[in-house]
Amino acid sequence: MEDLGIQVLKSVVSGLLMGLVFALVALGLTVIFGVMDIVNFAHGEFLMIGMYTTLLTSPLLGIDPVLTLPLAGLVGAALGVLSYYGLIRFLLRGPMIAQLFGTFGLMLFLRNLALLTMGSEPRILHKGWLVGKSFIVGPGVVLESTKLAAAVLSIVSFALVWWLINRTKVGRALTATSLDAEGARYMGISTQKMNALAWAVGGASVAIAGGLLVNFWPVEPGVGLLFTMIAFATVALGGFGSVRGAFVAGVLIGLIVNIPPIWDAMLRMIDAAGLADLQIHSFKYTMVYAIYFLIMVIKPQGLFGWKQ
Amino acid sequence: MALLAVNQVSKHFGGLVANHEVSFDLYEGDVLGLIGPNGAGKTTLFNCIAGFYPLTHGSVTFGGKDITNLKDFQIARLGLARTFQIFQASGDLTVAENVMVGSFMRTRSRSLARKSAEGCLDFLGIADTGGAMMTELPVAAQKRVALATALASDPKLMLLDEVGAGLNPSEIEGLIEILKRIHSERSISLLLTEHVLEMVMAMSHRVIVLESGKKIAEGEPAEVVKDPEVVKAYLGDHFVKRREEDGDA
Amino acid sequence: MEAVKNAFDFADMPKSELTIAGLGMAFLLLFPVLPHSSFAMATMIQFLMFSLYGMGWNLIGGYGGQVDLGKAQYVGIGAYTTAVMMIRWDVPFWISTPIGLALAVGWSFIIGYPLFRLKGHYFAIATIATSLVLKDLFEVWDFVGGARGLELPLKGDFPNWLYLQFREDYYYFYILLGLFVLGLLVVNGFRHSRLGYQLRAIKDNEDVAKSLGIDAHWSKIKAYALATAYVAVVGSFHACYNFNIEPEDIMSLDLSVLIAMMAMLGGAGSMWGPIIGASILVPMKSYLGDWLGGQAGLAGLDLLLYGGIIMFIAAAQPRGVYGIVEAVRARRRK
Repeated sequence: MEDLGIQVLKSVVSGLLMGLVFALVALGLTVIFGVMDIVNFAHGEFLMIGMYTTLLTSPLLGIDPVLTLPLAGLVGAALGVLSYYGLIRFLLRGPMIAQLFGTFGLMLFLRNLALLTMGSEPRILHKGWLVGKSFIVGPGVVLESTKLAAAVLSIVSFALVWWLINRTKVGRALTATSLDAEGARYMGISTQKMNALAWAVGGASVAIAGGLLVNFWPVEPGVGLLFTMIAFATVALGGFGSVRGAFVAGVLIGLIVNIPPIWDAMLRMIDAAGLADLQIHSFKYTMVYAIYFLIMVIKPQGLFGWKQ
Repeated sequence: MALLAVNQVSKHFGGLVANHEVSFDLYEGDVLGLIGPNGAGKTTLFNCIAGFYPLTHGSVTFGGKDITNLKDFQIARLGLARTFQIFQASGDLTVAENVMVGSFMRTRSRSLARKSAEGCLDFLGIADTGGAMMTELPVAAQKRVALATALASDPKLMLLDEVGAGLNPSEIEGLIEILKRIHSERSISLLLTEHVLEMVMAMSHRVIVLESGKKIAEGEPAEVVKDPEVVKAYLGDHFVKRREEDGDA
Repeated sequence: MEAVKNAFDFADMPKSELTIAGLGMAFLLLFPVLPHSSFAMATMIQFLMFSLYGMGWNLIGGYGGQVDLGKAQYVGIGAYTTAVMMIRWDVPFWISTPIGLALAVGWSFIIGYPLFRLKGHYFAIATIATSLVLKDLFEVWDFVGGARGLELPLKGDFPNWLYLQFREDYYYFYILLGLFVLGLLVVNGFRHSRLGYQLRAIKDNEDVAKSLGIDAHWSKIKAYALATAYVAVVGSFHACYNFNIEPEDIMSLDLSVLIAMMAMLGGAGSMWGPIIGASILVPMKSYLGDWLGGQAGLAGLDLLLYGGIIMFIAAAQPRGVYGIVEAVRARRRK
C-alpha cells in the first residue's frame, strides 16, 4: 500500500504533464475561435492525422519519431489552410448552423478517410528515443520521458504562439482581425489571409500535439472525438479565444482527470448508489463534459475570456 | 400621478458613467422628447427604463408600480412598448406575422391576433405590405412595421428610439402625422429620442435635454432651445463636428 | 378548440406544396402493398423515424434557431424506459412510452433551464456535453445493461400489439405512419400557435421579442420540451423495433447530429424541411452503406462520401433544399 502523499504527488505530476498536452491540443482551437468565431468539430481529426503522420513517416524516413514533429506540423498547417480555403471560407457566409454541420462533415470525412486507408486497428509507436524510457524522480514517482517531452514541447509551442501573436507584425494583424475584422480590412489587412493563418497555426499546433501523443496514446480513426471534447472543455474553461486561458485550463483539466484519490472517493460514492463495474477510464472523461457544462452555465466567459 | 416616473437613475458601465441621476416625470397624454447630442446617453436611458439594463442607482415607476427590478418582458406586458434604433429582421416572418407577434401579447388566439394585426397595419397605412418579407420593404415602411408591431401590443406608453433616423424630409413628415394619430386616436403617451431636432420640436409638449448622461434642461421646446447651456451642449457639439468634417474634406 | 383547428389549418400553404404533400402521403399509405424489397421497407421505416426526429428538432432548432446537438440523450431516455420496463416488469409499450416521454420531458426542463442561458456556439456545445454525460453514465450503469446495452425478450403471440412485436415490417410501418401524421399535425398546430410565432420572433431578434412581452428563456424551454417529446416517443419505438439498444448506438453524438441534419438539409424552420431532409439523407446513407459498407477493404468509404456531401451542402446551400424553393418563390414574386 502506497503512502497517500506519494499517491497525490504522482497524480499531480502525471496530471500536470497530461494537462500540458491537453493545453496544446486546445491551443489551435482557441486561436481559430479567437480570430473567427467558428467552432471546428474536426479538431480532433487534425490531431489524429498528426498522430498518423508521425507513426508512418518515422519508419518510412528512418528517423526518430521526435524528428518527424516538424513534418506533422507542416501537414497540420497544410490541412488547416486547405480546410479554410476549401470549406470554411464558404461556411462563413452561412448561418452558424451551417458552420457546425460543415465542420462536422469534415470530421466524418477525415475520420472515415483514415478508416479507409489505415484500418480500425489501434496503433502506437514501439520504438524511438522516448519510448520506454523514464526517470525516477522520487520514491514511486516516475516520469515517463514521452510525457515529459510532450509537456516540454507544449510549453515551447505556447511560447512560440504567444510570441507570434504578441511580438510580431503578423500577430498584431491577427489580433486586429479578431477584434474587428472590418476595421482591420480598412487598415489593409486581408481577412482571408489572417483567417487562413489562424487555421495554419491551429492545424500545426494540434498536429504536433498528435505527433507527441502517439508516443504513449494509441491512434485509431475514432480517437479524435474525445480530444475534440476535451479541447472544447479546455477552451470553454479558459475562455474562448484566450491563449493564456487555454494553457491554464488545460493544466487544470489534466489535474482534474488525473487525481485518483478524488476518483476513489467518487467510486465509493457511486458504488453506494448501486453502480458497479465502473470503467473508470471512460468515466473520468465524463467529468470533462460535466465540467464544460458547469463552466458554461456558471461563468460563460471562462477564466480569461474576452470575447462574447 | 405620473404614468412614468424616473427617479435619480444612474447607469455605469465599469468606469463609464452613461447616465447620472436623471429624473423626470411623464404624465398620461404626454408627448415627451428626449434630446441631446450623440453619446448623451439617450438610448442607455431607454434601455434602463425598459428593463434591458439593470440600473446602477435609482428607481423607475410605471403606472404607480415600481418596475426597477422587473425584467424587460414583464415591463412590456405592463404596457410599455419600445422600438429599436436598428431594426434587424432576418426574414423568417412576413410583415403581418411580425405584427401578430405584438398582438399575441394580449391574446392567445391566432384569429384575434390576426384581426388586431390587420387593424394596426391598416391604421399605419401599410395594409398592402402584409404578405411581404421585412427585408423586401424600404426603410420607411420597415419603421412603420416596427410601429405597428408595438401598437399591436396595445401599450399605454411607447418609447421611440430614433424613429426618424435614415428617413428623408417627406418621409419624416408622414411619420409625424402617424405619430400624432397614434397619440390622439389611440391615446398612447409617447417618449421619443431623436438627434434630428426637427421631429421632436414639432411633436413634443415638453423636452428633456441630456448631455454626457446628465439632464441639463427641461421645458417647452421653444424655451429649451433658448437655454444657453443647451445651445452650448447641442450646437457646440455640432459646430465642432462640422469643423472636423470640413477639415477632413 | 382553436388549437385543434390550427392543427388542421393548411390554408397558408401554397397549392403546389399541398399537392406534393398529398401525393407523398398517398405513396406512403400504399407503399406496403406496392412491390418492394425488405431492404426498401427497412429504409422506409428509418425514413419515417428520422422524419419524426427531425420534426421534433425543427421545433427548437428550426423555428427557434437554437442549434441543439444533444437530442440523442432523449432517444436514449425513451428507448431505455421502454426496454427496462418491459424486461423487468413486463410493462407494455403503450404504458412505458408515455412514462418515457414524461421522464424525457422532465429531464429536458431540468437541463433546459441552465442550457438556455447560453447562446450560439456555447449553447450547441453544451447540449453535446449534456448528452455525452448521460451516455457515459448509461455505459457504466448496470441497471440498464451498461455498455453492452439491453436485449428485448421475444414475447411471442404474433402479432403482439401490446409489446409491439411483429413478424412483418408493415405493422411497424403503419404505426410509424400514424405517429408521422400526428407529428405533422402537431407541428402545424405549433406553427400557428402563440408559442410558434413567439419562437420565430425570438429567432429573428431576441431583444425585439422581449420588448413584445415574450419571456424568451421560458419560451425556448417550452419548445425544447415539445421537441423532446417527439424524440422520446420515437426512441421508445426504436427499442421495440430494433430489439436491441446500446448507448453507443442511440445516445451518440453522431445520432444527435444526424437528427439535426435532417432539418438542416431539408430546410430548418420550414414544416416540410425535416421530411425532405430525411427523404434524401436516409436512403442515401442506407444505400451507400449497403453498396460500399459491406465490401472488404472499403470500410468507411460510405461515411467518407456522406461527410463529403454534408460539407458540400453546408457550404453551397446553407438554408437547405427548402431554401432553394423559397428563393425561387421570392424571385417570382418580384
